[in-house]
Amino acid sequence: MIKLQNIEKVYRTSSIETLALNNINLDVRKGEFVSIMGPSGCGKSTLLNIIGLLDAPSKGQIEIDGSPVERYTDKHLAELRNRKLGFIFQSFHLINDLSVIDNVEIPLLYRNTSAKQRRELAQEALEKVGLSNRMKHFPKQLSGGQKQRVAIARAIVGKPEIILADEPTGNLDSAMGNEILGILQKLNTDGATIVMVTHDEAMAKKTDRLVRLFDGTQVS
Amino acid sequence: MLQHLFKLIWNKKGTHSLLMIEVWAAFMVLFGVLTLIVFNLRNYLQPIGFQYENVWNLELSSNQDTTEIAAKLQRALQRVKAYPEVTAASRMSSNTPFSANQIGNSVEYNKVNVGADFYYTDTELANVLDLPLKKGRWYAEGDLVGKFVPVVINQVMEDKLFQNESGLNKVVKRDDKTMYKIVGIVDKFKGKGKYMSDNPALFQMLEKSDRWNSNILIKTKPGTDAAFEARLVKEVAVMLPGWGVEVGYLKDSRKNRENLTLVPVLIFLIVSGFLLTNVALGLFGVLNLNIAKRKGEIGLRRAMGATEAKVTTQFLGEIWVLATFSLVIGLIFAIQFPLMNVFDLDKEIYLIAIFAAVVVIYIIVTLCAWFPSKQAARIHPAVALHEE
Repeated sequence: MIKLQNIEKVYRTSSIETLALNNINLDVRKGEFVSIMGPSGCGKSTLLNIIGLLDAPSKGQIEIDGSPVERYTDKHLAELRNRKLGFIFQSFHLINDLSVIDNVEIPLLYRNTSAKQRRELAQEALEKVGLSNRMKHFPKQLSGGQKQRVAIARAIVGKPEIILADEPTGNLDSAMGNEILGILQKLNTDGATIVMVTHDEAMAKKTDRLVRLFDGTQVS
Repeated sequence: MLQHLFKLIWNKKGTHSLLMIEVWAAFMVLFGVLTLIVFNLRNYLQPIGFQYENVWNLELSSNQDTTEIAAKLQRALQRVKAYPEVTAASRMSSNTPFSANQIGNSVEYNKVNVGADFYYTDTELANVLDLPLKKGRWYAEGDLVGKFVPVVINQVMEDKLFQNESGLNKVVKRDDKTMYKIVGIVDKFKGKGKYMSDNPALFQMLEKSDRWNSNILIKTKPGTDAAFEARLVKEVAVMLPGWGVEVGYLKDSRKNRENLTLVPVLIFLIVSGFLLTNVALGLFGVLNLNIAKRKGEIGLRRAMGATEAKVTTQFLGEIWVLATFSLVIGLIFAIQFPLMNVFDLDKEIYLIAIFAAVVVIYIIVTLCAWFPSKQAARIHPAVALHEE
């Protein structure tokens, strides 16, 4: 489903060249739950951004469903992100000026979906994460765990095949973290392919496969 | 998407309130200035109604002389008419075309009272100013034997006084002692210049025995030069010893008069220009800051499937929505002007000014939002997400 071949990412400034990723090869199959682990600064988030088509590699090839994406236009990439991928971030990235349900509806704004349909799908997604009673609340009125559940609802509202989670439990205590992992596992059981970046060894061990990075290089 | 933008701006109304007040104030000032401009422009586009090229105004002042004033004025008129350079000449009250003087009064017909500019002049004014008559004729000496004072009015006065009836040969009342008979109707007479509106005007027959109205309008042949002017002044001064004799050109008076109208408009334009520039710079600064603060949101939207174009459209859309909120409040105020007939201006003037002000405000906010919105769209999603 996701295939990375010889991925290299170099950040260049006028004086420094930093190799963030070096010769990464990764094949994520449909329905897999893969976690990416490694110390801070090893390139985990960079790799996830590349998988999520938010960043382009300096070298190498990415294939999604067998199609290389290098030559895709901004419009095509945006459509792919919208239809195929769902994102969950460590810092939730909720828009504080919008209610929970309006936040969840965001991915559907970039599709031809009617307001009524958007509302129905958002309600359905919130029910899945157990937050249907908080629809009218604003992010500031929610706990960290609830915010992350809203972010998960937003990630799954468009029914994407792949969910990319960047340290989804990083800002939460262990109980809340387990609860979020439980939701992700349930989504995986329901058929979603999940790639999760984490620091937490215990969390990583609960996934199907573990990819370890060190200094931008894949070590396992 | 529009609903989403309205929701986003509405939920942030507290943060945006000052910006909305700024846009509202800019709209109100712009509406005022544009009303003035539309009013003047509409007047400008209307024909003035008479010819003023080659027409001179000979202003005579009797000073200490108190004897036979009327006879002396008549002699001076006859002398002026005798010059081969003069094609026509007419005595007139001091409110000659484009002068700052004004004589106003009102007349009544069937309980309809209309205020008008009164011009006291003789039988020759229509020839001097090439005033075409729409109906009837210009008054003549023979009309003075009648019971009523002969007058000519303009079309707008006929419309106001008689509505759908014809005013020709009707008798109207100025006061209990003075009744006028309308013998002719001219089309337009914008005696105060091109930028002024075509106000109701009434031309009243000036008798030869009149001693108070001492201006003579002279229509000269094209090409008549200053040498004739000097000769005219000199010879009239010899005829009327001790009198003040001055000649002015209606063409010059028109320019002076129009400058008096244009200067305040220009001042308002400059002031509103400064205000709009301030609003534009303020908007630009606020939007730049806003975008810098919302990088995380931009990254998120890109991750959720927004293209660069959609991010640009969103930020432009937000400022349009914000401007719309301000304009709705502004329109509530502005619409009162045509509804309450403020300053007795034509409703159309206010409606055009409102429409133009709305368009200008949308253009300004679009120009101000364009660059920051483009900047926002160019932020790399991975960088934007990382920055929060």
